[in-house]
Amino acid sequence: MSTATLAEVAETYRHPESLGNFLRDRNPITLLVALVSLAVVAAAVPGLITPFAVCAVFVLLAFAGGVGPAYTATYLKLWAVVGFILFLLRALLLDGEHVYFTFGNLQVTAEGVYEGLRFAAVVMAICGAVTLFFALVTMRRLMLALEMRGVSPRASYVLLASFQSMTDLGATAKVVLDAQKARGIETEGGLITRAKAFFPVLAPVFLSAMTATEERAIALDARAFNSPAAHSHLVQLPRTATWEWLAAGLFAAVATACVMGRFLGWL
Amino acid sequence: MPIELYRAAFAYPDGSPALSSVTLRVGDGERLAIVGQNGAGKTTTVKLMNGLLKPTHGEVRVDGVLTTDRTTAQIARIVGYVFQNPDDQLFASDVRTEIEYLPRHLGWPDEMRTERVERAIDITGIRPHLDANPKDLPMAIRKFVAIAAVLVGACRYIVLDEPTAGLDARGLDLLRSMLDHLRDDGTAVVTITHDMRFVIDTFDRVVAMADGTVIADGRCADVFADDEVLHRARIKRLIVAQIARDLELSRTALTVDDVVALVP
Amino acid sequence: MALASLRDVRFTYAYSDRPALDGITLEIESGMVHGIVGLNASGKTTLCSLIRGIVPHFHKGELEGSVEILGRDLLEWDPAELSRTIGCVFDNPFTQISGIRETVFEEIALGLENLGTPRAEMIERVERVVEQLGIEALVRKNPNGLSGGQRQKVAFASIIAMDADVIVIDEPTSQLDPDATDAVFGIIADLKAQGKSIVLVEHKIDLLAEYADRLTVLRAGRIVTTGAARDVLTSDELIAAEVPVPEVTELSRRLDAIGRPFVRTPITSAEAAAAVSARIQEASNAH
Repeated sequence: MSTATLAEVAETYRHPESLGNFLRDRNPITLLVALVSLAVVAAAVPGLITPFAVCAVFVLLAFAGGVGPAYTATYLKLWAVVGFILFLLRALLLDGEHVYFTFGNLQVTAEGVYEGLRFAAVVMAICGAVTLFFALVTMRRLMLALEMRGVSPRASYVLLASFQSMTDLGATAKVVLDAQKARGIETEGGLITRAKAFFPVLAPVFLSAMTATEERAIALDARAFNSPAAHSHLVQLPRTATWEWLAAGLFAAVATACVMGRFLGWL
Repeated sequence: MPIELYRAAFAYPDGSPALSSVTLRVGDGERLAIVGQNGAGKTTTVKLMNGLLKPTHGEVRVDGVLTTDRTTAQIARIVGYVFQNPDDQLFASDVRTEIEYLPRHLGWPDEMRTERVERAIDITGIRPHLDANPKDLPMAIRKFVAIAAVLVGACRYIVLDEPTAGLDARGLDLLRSMLDHLRDDGTAVVTITHDMRFVIDTFDRVVAMADGTVIADGRCADVFADDEVLHRARIKRLIVAQIARDLELSRTALTVDDVVALVP
Repeated sequence: MALASLRDVRFTYAYSDRPALDGITLEIESGMVHGIVGLNASGKTTLCSLIRGIVPHFHKGELEGSVEILGRDLLEWDPAELSRTIGCVFDNPFTQISGIRETVFEEIALGLENLGTPRAEMIERVERVVEQLGIEALVRKNPNGLSGGQRQKVAFASIIAMDADVIVIDEPTSQLDPDATDAVFGIIADLKAQGKSIVLVEHKIDLLAEYADRLTVLRAGRIVTTGAARDVLTSDELIAAEVPVPEVTELSRRLDAIGRPFVRTPITSAEAAAAVSARIQEASNAH
C-alpha cells in the first residue's frame, strides 16, 4: 500500500464514521432503546398479532440495515430450535377445555396451542431485538457511544477485552493444538484419542492466558491507560440529531404506555 | 528416506497464497537453514514438511509417503517440530513429566522410554532443571525443554523455528553442541532463522526464500556470494565478509576466520 | 539532569529469595542511547522495570538503596505520571496489543486517546509514525490477527507515537527479520537525534556497537562494567560476562592474537572498513 492510501485511511478518521447505511449510522443507544421498546410492546400487548408483527418488523429492519439475508438465516434457525421447543412445551403440557387430540397422557388443546404460539413469539421477539441489535451495531461502536455519555473507559475496556479474549483463547487453542500434533500427540480421531489430548491442549492455553493478563496490564499502563487526563477519541460517531433522541423517547413512551395499560387493565 | 517437496504450493482457505511452488529435498541426517524475510514462506514450508499443513497443489512426501495420506501426529513421529514459542507446547507441572509425556502417551516399554528420555535430557542440557515447573524457568531454558520434549520421540528429522531468538551466548553454545550431537546420531535438522552468523557457523546448506518460493539452495559459500539472492531474500552476509568484498579482497569470504586470513 | 541515578541499589522480587539486582550504582545520562547487555536472567529487564517504575510500583519486592528518576526519588513519583514520562516497549509482542481496537491505525492512536490528545494532532502523529516504521500496509488490518513480527512493529509504533522524552526498549527486534531490525534501529537513531533518551536491552551486539553511546554489562544482577560503548566493547570484562563481542572487534582480536593488530580496535563496520583499507594501502605501498 502506498502512502496515498495511508492518507486516505487517516482521512476517514477526520470525519464521523459512517457505515453508509441509515439504520446502522444511528446512535447505538437510540437504536437499542427502539429495539428494546419493540420487544416490550410485543410482550405487553396481549394476543398473537403484536408479537408476530414485531418479529416480522425485525426482519424488515434487518433488510433496511443491509444485514437482511444473514440476519434472517440466523433468526429462522433460532425460531426453528428455540421457538419450536418453547411452543411444543407449552402446547403439550398446558391443560385446556378444547382438546384437539391426545396421545398417551399428553393432550393438545386449543388453549395450549394459543399459549405456546404466544409464548414462543414473545420470547423470540426479545431474542430478535438482541440479535438484531448486535447485527447492526459493533461492540466497539456501542462502547464508544456509551463512553461519549460518560461511561468510564475502564468499564468499556473490560467489556471489549473480554469479548476479544474469547477470540484470543480460540486462536491460542489452535496454535497449541498444532504444537502438540507437531510433537506427535494424536488429536484427530476417536473420542478416547481426543480425550487424551485434552489436557496437553488446555493447560498451555490457560497458562498463557494467565501470564498474559499481567503483562497486558503493564503494557496498557505504558499506553497511559491510567492517565488522569480526560480521554479523547479517534473515532467519532455521527452527531445524534434531536429528532433521533425524540424518536427513541417516543418508542420508550409507547412501550411504557403498553406496560402500564397491561397492568391497569386497559389492554 | 528423505523429505521431498515437489512443486508444493499452499494457499489459505480464503485464497491468499502463502507458498507458490517449492521443490526441495532434505536427505537423511542432513542439516539445512531456511532464510528469508518474514512472509517469504519459510514457516509454511516447514509446516508442510511435518503435515501441519497439507499442500493445496503439488506433493509432499515423507519417507516416500504422501503427507496427505497420514495424520499430522503420525508424520510428527518422523519429523518433529519445535515451535518458536515454547509456551505453546509445554503443559506439565514439572520438566521430567513433560519429557516423559510422549513416551507414555505412545505406551513405550520402560527400558526404551528411559533410554530416550535420558538421551533427550543429555542432548539439551536440562538435567539441572528436571524437577522445576517449566513456567518458572527462564525463556531460554524453556526453549530447551520444548526441544527435549520433541527429541524424546523417535523422529529422524527435527524442525527448529527461530531457535536462536532470545538466546544469550551461553544458550547459543548449548544449541551448537546440541546440533553437533544430533549430527553424530544421524538426526536431520531443518531450521528457520534470521541469524546469519548462526547459519554461517553451523550450517553447510542454506535455502533462501522470497515471495513464496525457493530462490537459492546450496552451500553457504555459494549462496552468500550471490548479491542478487541476498537482495531478493533481504539477507546480509557477515559484516566482515561484506567489508572484504567491498574492498575487493574476496568474493567468497564467509566467516571471520576467512577474513582474518585475507587482511594483509 | 541525569535520566536515572542509582546508588547502591538492591532489589529482590517478593516471590524470590535472591536479589535480581544487587549493588547497582549507575548514572544514566539524558540524550543518549544507553545499551544494557548480559546473559539471560542477569537483571536487564529488572533494571528497565526499575527505571520505568514497574518495580516496585507494580511488581512488588524489597528495594534498598536510592533510585532517582529525572531528579526525583522513584518512590515519590506518581506511577501514572511516570508511565507517561517514560515510554516503554516490552519484549513480548503478543501482550502489547490492547485487544480493544479494530485497526492498527486505531491501536497506535490508543495511547494518544488516553492522553487526551486532540483528534487532528492524533491523526497526524499516527500517520508520521506509520511512515517512519514503513507499516503503511498494516494500518487497515485488525491488530489481533497480526504475526509476531508485525505486532512488534505496531507495539513499537504505539509507544513512539506517544512522544515521551525517555523511551525504555526491551529487545525490540527479537521477532524481526534483518530489514525490519534495521528499520527499528534507524528510528532509534532518529529519536536520539531529536534529543530523546533511550535505554535499550538488545542481544544483537553488532547493532549496539553501531548505535549505543554507552553500555552497561550485567551479570547475575551486578554491574560488570559500564561506560562509553567503545571502552566496554573493547574490554576483557565483556568476555568475562559471556557477552559476544561485535564481529569487527572479534576480527581485530584475532589479528591481535596472530601479531598483526590494528592500530585502533574497531567497533563499527565503518571503522573496520577504514582499518582494513589502511592495511591494504600499506601493503601496496610496501611493494
